[in-house]
Amino acid sequence: MSAIAVKRRPLRIGWDVTLQCLALLLLLAIPLALLVTSALNVGDPQQIPAKEFGLDNFARLGIHVDWIRNTLIIASFGTLIATALGVLLAWILYRTTLPGRRIFDILLAIPYPLGPLVGALAWNELGAPSGGLINEAFTALTGLDGPIINTSSMTGIILVMAIFEAPVAVLMIGAAMQRMDPTLEECSSVFGGGRARTAFKVTLPLMLPAILSAALFLFVSMLGAFAIPAILGAGARIQVITTGIYSLFQGYPPDYPAAAALGLLIIGLTASLVWLNSWVLRGRSYVVVSGKNYRPRQIDMGRWTWLLFAFISLYALVSLILPIATLLMFSLQSTSSVSWDVSTWTLGNYRYVIFDFPTTRAAIVNSLLLGVGTGIVGALAATLIAWTVHRSPSRGRKFLEQVAMLPQAFPHIIFAFGFLWTILILPIQGLYGSLIALLIAYVILFIPLGYRSIAGVIVQIDKSLEESARVSGASWSRVMRTVTVPLLRGGLVATWALLFMVSVREVSASVFLSGPDSQVLGPAILNFWDSGGLPRVSALAMVQAVIVLAALLVIRLVTSGETRVAEPAK
Amino acid sequence: MSSNVAVPQPRDATHAAPVRSAPAAVQTKAHIEVRDVVAAYGEKVAVHGVSVTVADDEHLSLLGPSGCGKSTLLRCIAGLETPVSGEIVIDGEVVFSSARGINLPPEKRRLSMVFQSYAIWPHMTVFENVAYGLRVQRVRGQELRDRVHTALKMVGMEELAQRPATALSGGQQQRVALARAYAPSPKAILLDEPLSNLDARLRSQMRDDLKDLQKRTKLSTIYVTHDQEEAMAMSDRIIVMRQGRIEQEAKPLVIYERPRTRFVADFIGAANVLSGTLVSADPAGPVIRVGSTEMRCAPVAEIPPPTDGGHLIAIRTVYPELLPAGTPGAVNQWPATVASRILLGDIVRYGVEFAGGSLHVQTTPKTLVEQGGEVTLSIPPEHVVLLAG
Repeated sequence: MSAIAVKRRPLRIGWDVTLQCLALLLLLAIPLALLVTSALNVGDPQQIPAKEFGLDNFARLGIHVDWIRNTLIIASFGTLIATALGVLLAWILYRTTLPGRRIFDILLAIPYPLGPLVGALAWNELGAPSGGLINEAFTALTGLDGPIINTSSMTGIILVMAIFEAPVAVLMIGAAMQRMDPTLEECSSVFGGGRARTAFKVTLPLMLPAILSAALFLFVSMLGAFAIPAILGAGARIQVITTGIYSLFQGYPPDYPAAAALGLLIIGLTASLVWLNSWVLRGRSYVVVSGKNYRPRQIDMGRWTWLLFAFISLYALVSLILPIATLLMFSLQSTSSVSWDVSTWTLGNYRYVIFDFPTTRAAIVNSLLLGVGTGIVGALAATLIAWTVHRSPSRGRKFLEQVAMLPQAFPHIIFAFGFLWTILILPIQGLYGSLIALLIAYVILFIPLGYRSIAGVIVQIDKSLEESARVSGASWSRVMRTVTVPLLRGGLVATWALLFMVSVREVSASVFLSGPDSQVLGPAILNFWDSGGLPRVSALAMVQAVIVLAALLVIRLVTSGETRVAEPAK
Repeated sequence: MSSNVAVPQPRDATHAAPVRSAPAAVQTKAHIEVRDVVAAYGEKVAVHGVSVTVADDEHLSLLGPSGCGKSTLLRCIAGLETPVSGEIVIDGEVVFSSARGINLPPEKRRLSMVFQSYAIWPHMTVFENVAYGLRVQRVRGQELRDRVHTALKMVGMEELAQRPATALSGGQQQRVALARAYAPSPKAILLDEPLSNLDARLRSQMRDDLKDLQKRTKLSTIYVTHDQEEAMAMSDRIIVMRQGRIEQEAKPLVIYERPRTRFVADFIGAANVLSGTLVSADPAGPVIRVGSTEMRCAPVAEIPPPTDGGHLIAIRTVYPELLPAGTPGAVNQWPATVASRILLGDIVRYGVEFAGGSLHVQTTPKTLVEQGGEVTLSIPPEHVVLLAG
């Protein structure tokens, strides 16, 4: 036998956790610190980092109180409507015997990934007070004066936002519904609880954590929303905090300190809401999160079925079918006015945005490159973090998980703002306005999403599969290569595709970070909307939609094909 | 299977049983040695300074209820958990020593392990699963194929070598896990509740197969289980654990016949535990007063100190005999009444009342006594075990 081995291994010193936490915290702390110093900057507004400090910038926010008010109104009502829609739609999908539920399940999963630009552009084309398709059709059909619908209004912004964010609530609440043990409800009915009593005394309390959690998520997301208010609010000059920051930033002279102060305001709000969310979930979520999926008890709604069917169809129509059809229609027009004559339709706009016009051509190529890159880097980083959280013996693993979730508290546009300044003070040449800068920003912003996606797969892989390989004599790297990564393959591809998708549709961080040499789709569509004419911008938005749909298809194929569950058969 | 277990025959009146649990018979040399291992999860200490040795080719069981620290101890030996302190030596090589700062990772310890979940890699075929440990050792080509097939043949799975691992039943996965453990000729095999995921019928069959496999291969094994039958059937020696400490360590029959404590008496088999006061402290035949009777106990090496309720004695339910009423009174024979009778099929369980209190007695249905019947209760002194607490 070999001599006594003296290979020393440090016991329980969490260098893996420490390094990852430090890296993540640094990447978030520097932009945040620069935002704070700028918000307190009362000297030269162009000075980064600032030299003279005071609270004057916050006092100056008073003149923008309407932006803050608009933001809160939009986010509050948007959240209320989207959550109500989410509860109703999730209930219809998972708890009733509605015909065609499988198809609706797929249709409802699409609008959110398509991104806010598609919805905003399409509904602007449909519902603008002058020139909106619906208003024109109404006038043409009835001869009466319109408009009957006006999306360029607070109501319009709230409704469009609610419609496009509701699928997130459906997803979160639906998941909770599938994790609820149906015997809890059956038990209530056995003890004499009628439908209403069971619904209000058993089901609703059990669902409440998920509903609250979904509502908070939506609220945070709406506070930071940029594309929808930017497009729909432009006509009526409705500004929210995010669009306000953008105009302060782009104005002449740019008012960086005021923009930073507004940014801090919104970060403070979202951070406390994210914290509130985890606090609310801490005490309650155990009731429904059993880890196990049940088949929920499904109720035959009798003659109400058709009303529900009509409702969910209407939702699919306004959230998906109508917007896509509208964009497609406009993208085929040869002039800016809509013609119903098919012979005048043309693919010229697609040729123009894909091949002829250098800016949009570069934007498409860059977005694809960035999507691939963000997918690879982000999926690897998220896997490393998730693997450490769930497998490392080190202390502080749970802390790492929380750190990995921190980027959620930063609305994209504000993080990009701080990140831009970080780039400017870094002594690295050529980072400003480069694709690398966008890639780093995307990876940081999407770490929470990537983490959740891959961690869900890692926890399903029985730990003993890896331990068994270790005991068989395989080194860490061999275990990774022969067991962990092959078992994670489906999850890795799905995570990659997810990150690819959200990168391609990203708008609000990109508007700050993309430069002349790093055009990407989101800002390109937004700029084009100002200058390029509806047919061409619709064609560009359709290109983005097709890329997103392709990624969505990949995710769906991977996650449904990969039924090979890494668990021991019983 | 080592044949060095000198089994004391039950009912053999001349048999002077070893009173305290004897150390395992002839120990060739310690193949695995665990010294004063303390293991903890955060603040919670799971193993409190336990020392264990396993001889060459010895089959040791770690037996105890869930949470007793047996799996943690096994995982410490495998290298999957890092003890707080202590030392572990495998085949002369120190694999862990807190004092010397040694902690060999699991892959350097040359062990095999069978997991409760089997841990069959679902992305590989049966062949690839079994070949894994051999490939790590750089076994290639014909030798690899031969050794995998030998291992698969051993568990009767050679036909299914090319099958994807996901197409296996629970019992088949279990066999593949065993073949995978034996194939690389490890220094020892660690089994962590290997049968607990099988249904009752398959479990008893796998238990016999595993026992057979152990006999055919010369390998030290450590078998962790909460099932006393498995531990009895599979091992040369059993260590009963409780709350992170060793409660008793002995050969299976000694554990059964001479439980050291009330915990062991309750955990293994079915026993009556009575409490009384010491009347005669003669180690060759101590006498305990139970109720209004005096009961003679089996010889002990030394009289244990009394517990709060006096001295405790254990009587296995299978040992008291129900003789016809009026049988001439010998040692440990008393008139008694059958208070209850439950027919369970293979066995009959009686509740018997006598001057010392009440007892459970199990017999076969061969001779039945009616409920309410008068009998003579006879308990041979060698089956009355004075407990240490």
